[in-house]
Amino acid sequence: MVIDDSRAMRRILRTVLQEVGYEVVEAGNGQEALDLLGTEEAETRVPELALIDWNMPIMTGLEFVVNARKQQRLRNMSLIMVTTESEHGQIVRALASGAHEYVIKPFTRDALHDKLALLGLLPAGVNS
Amino acid sequence: MSSEIPTVEQLDDIAEQVWAAFLDDGNPAVIGFAAGDERGDLAASVSVAGAWEGTLVVSCTDDASREVASALFAMPVSEVTPADIGDALGELANVLGGNVKSMLPSPSTLSLPEVFTTDDDSQVVEVCRTVVTWRERTFTVALLKSPRAVAQEEVAS
Repeated sequence: MVIDDSRAMRRILRTVLQEVGYEVVEAGNGQEALDLLGTEEAETRVPELALIDWNMPIMTGLEFVVNARKQQRLRNMSLIMVTTESEHGQIVRALASGAHEYVIKPFTRDALHDKLALLGLLPAGVNS
Repeated sequence: MSSEIPTVEQLDDIAEQVWAAFLDDGNPAVIGFAAGDERGDLAASVSVAGAWEGTLVVSCTDDASREVASALFAMPVSEVTPADIGDALGELANVLGGNVKSMLPSPSTLSLPEVFTTDDDSQVVEVCRTVVTWRERTFTVALLKSPRAVAQEEVAS
């Protein structure tokens, strides 16, 4: 799942994930993502991974992480913040709230692959 | 706590990283820097509020904005819509602004991007600017300080 209010950034992230074999669902903010995850289909098919922007309208990425971490059925979903928020305090806050990894924009495809590999989410045969 | 005001060279570095990562498929050094006081038809901005107050603005011509949207959405220029342009320029300002904010005094927050047509009568103090050239198009990236923050500094000094 890619959660970002920018359609352009969603396209970039979707492309990177599709290149390594993921099917991708998109949401424009944290609330939209929670709504999608609450659908009947999502009940039986929770995404393995969410790439999450921080600054979004309606519900921020951090609020999404906090909400997602409260839901038992989402406990296996890996959460990676992908954001311009690069201050140490912000990174600590995100990780303390339940994010597993943190990628700072602008990022390279390799940097994102490296984070996926760290979480065991880079399919075999893809070079990180 | 960060307390550095970015220099032109640092703004150049940030711009180069952003263009290389998102507009030129990771290839380094694909943009140039030009002198001048270019003003475009269209601009996107993000505002910094908190320990430092100001705005990061990216402005460019209509043609340049179409080129950026075309690159970010991987579609022909002829198919780019105004919504695509707004989203693309807004994200460019967001990423540039976020990286600049990390160098400014903290704590501070970054607004969501706004896209607007440019005018010449905004009362701001320019901290630094760079003019990026990419695919023969020109983009001005400027860091502006809010008049209120300038006035407060004058009172304090």
